[in-house]
Amino acid sequence: MNNKTPPPEVEQILNLISKMKSSIAGILIPLVLIYGGMSAYYTVEPDEEAVVIRLGKHLENNQAGLHFKIPFGVDEVIKVKTKIVHQEEFGFRTLNTNSRRTTYSTRNFDSESLMLTGDLNVAEVQWVVQYQISDPFKYRFQATEPEINIRDVSESIMRRVVGDKLVTEVLTTGRVEIAINVQKLMQEVLSRYDIGIRIKSVKLQDVNPPKVVQPSFNDVNAAKQEQEKMINQAEEAYNKIIPEARGKAKKLISEAEGYATVKVNEAFGDAERFKELYMEYKKAPAITKKRIYLETMETVYSRFENLTIVDSKIKGLMPIFSKGGLSGK
Amino acid sequence: MGNKSTIILVVLFALLIGVKKTYYIVTEGEQVIITEFGKPVGDVHNTAGLKFKKPWQKAIYVDKRILTWDGDPNQIPTKDKKYIRVDTTARWQIVNALEFIKTVQNEQGAKARLDTILDGYTRDVISAHNLVEAVRNSNAITKAIDAQRKIIIDRKAKGEFVLEEESSSDVELIEVGRERLSQLIAEAADKELSALGIKLIDVQLRRISYEASVEKKVYERMISERQRIAQTIRSIGKGEKAEIEGRLTKDLSEIQSKAYRTAEALKGKAQGKAAAIYAKSLKMDPKFYEFIRSMEAYKKTLGSGTKLIISQDSKFLKYFK
Repeated sequence: MNNKTPPPEVEQILNLISKMKSSIAGILIPLVLIYGGMSAYYTVEPDEEAVVIRLGKHLENNQAGLHFKIPFGVDEVIKVKTKIVHQEEFGFRTLNTNSRRTTYSTRNFDSESLMLTGDLNVAEVQWVVQYQISDPFKYRFQATEPEINIRDVSESIMRRVVGDKLVTEVLTTGRVEIAINVQKLMQEVLSRYDIGIRIKSVKLQDVNPPKVVQPSFNDVNAAKQEQEKMINQAEEAYNKIIPEARGKAKKLISEAEGYATVKVNEAFGDAERFKELYMEYKKAPAITKKRIYLETMETVYSRFENLTIVDSKIKGLMPIFSKGGLSGK
Repeated sequence: MGNKSTIILVVLFALLIGVKKTYYIVTEGEQVIITEFGKPVGDVHNTAGLKFKKPWQKAIYVDKRILTWDGDPNQIPTKDKKYIRVDTTARWQIVNALEFIKTVQNEQGAKARLDTILDGYTRDVISAHNLVEAVRNSNAITKAIDAQRKIIIDRKAKGEFVLEEESSSDVELIEVGRERLSQLIAEAADKELSALGIKLIDVQLRRISYEASVEKKVYERMISERQRIAQTIRSIGKGEKAEIEGRLTKDLSEIQSKAYRTAEALKGKAQGKAAAIYAKSLKMDPKFYEFIRSMEAYKKTLGSGTKLIISQDSKFLKYFK
């Protein structure tokens, strides 16, 4: 303000100002001071980090605690939750975790979760991405909508990874690999954006065939069960019959062995007996033979029920040797 | 207070405004262009901080951060005539603020141009390629299929029971791949957008889904494929069962016939041995053996109840006459 040559008007103005000082300024100045004092400090919570912007320029980041700043819009403080793990859900939404049981939204997020697999089938994949803000300044000033970027990238990458898998892999064995790949690729893309995001984890939740297709998938499982059952039944029948047959076979062989032993021993016995008898017979052949004949006849004839003695002079009688009787019983 | 004091207040106020007009603040993430009566003056100011200008100059703020473009899902036929819905997003940045405000003025204007350019190139690129190119990113899937087949063959070679569940249809190989497709879109669009002072950071094919009518057919195919697999499994089960039953019959016959064979052989051998033993000892006097054996036979065969008509000439009755 210029006051090189103070004309009378200016003099008056100055007088007026000094007058006003006593009245308006007397109220205004303390008010301004109080406001300034109140807004010259701020606290940063333990889960936060504060980005300080002085006259538009990034000055510093402050950790938890009490900090001072220049008031009247010179210093702007932006608090960012850097210690918290943020979560983005895909294909479902958690509604409430306060009650005993977590509730989920029943709304349909099919467009988020349905995706094409490499063999041109469709799978329904639900997943969560957990991330932390690693650089609060970049997070706030590198992109306008970092959360949206995370969601877009996550959906795109998940589809890319699932697109390189067979539907059966996606539904069964591929889960872990998919999650790891998605995390890696997401981090690559987000690091390229340089928006201060670190992906902590990607977790696959429910992975299912589309609802319409589900019964036929279940039918395959049922078929597997049936197949196993059939095989088990057949095995059971086999196990029931074959061991028994083996036992029986062993029995048959053992019996044959027994028979063989008997036969041979009998042969030896008979041979031995014959030998002994023959030795005696040789000493007196005629008389021994006669004795044996007579003894035998005695034994034999004594058993007979009916003995007919026919005179040898009678001819014409049929020479009948009968066992079991002529009369025929 | 009289007129004078009012004048003074007005002057003070005007001065204050005047002072305010001599500086501007560039916040992080912003860039500023100074215009003089609508005409841009000097360079773009893109470092944050407090800057000064002449009071009649105007500061125009332009975003420096990454901006997000979200396209409307488009229904596009692929080269192999499959109708799909393609949902793309893109990230872009204003790199030439001067060109930007000259050509599109603001972000709304840019959005309209982005819509037409990106939708157009998305349509061009997708419809110039087969569906698989937009779905798959590599041919890794063929490796997975080969690996699976190898496992199945190996396990079968070991005689293990394996379930072949995979779709036997061969997958089409890709030449370009999903990631490259989005790059093609981005490259083509970026060329056009650079004239607007815009740099396209990337294009992401966020969602690719079948059209409702195609989707239905795909589901039908998936269902029929599952049914085929279920049928195969069931028939394999039946086959497996028949195989076991066959093995049962075979093993049973084998066990039984082998046992018979062994038993008979044993018996025969024993009989032979016995015959040899008999022959050896009986050779001493065959006639005597004949006599003795006959006697034994009489004793055995002629039991009680036998009726005999005997001649008086019988040796036995020699003394009976």
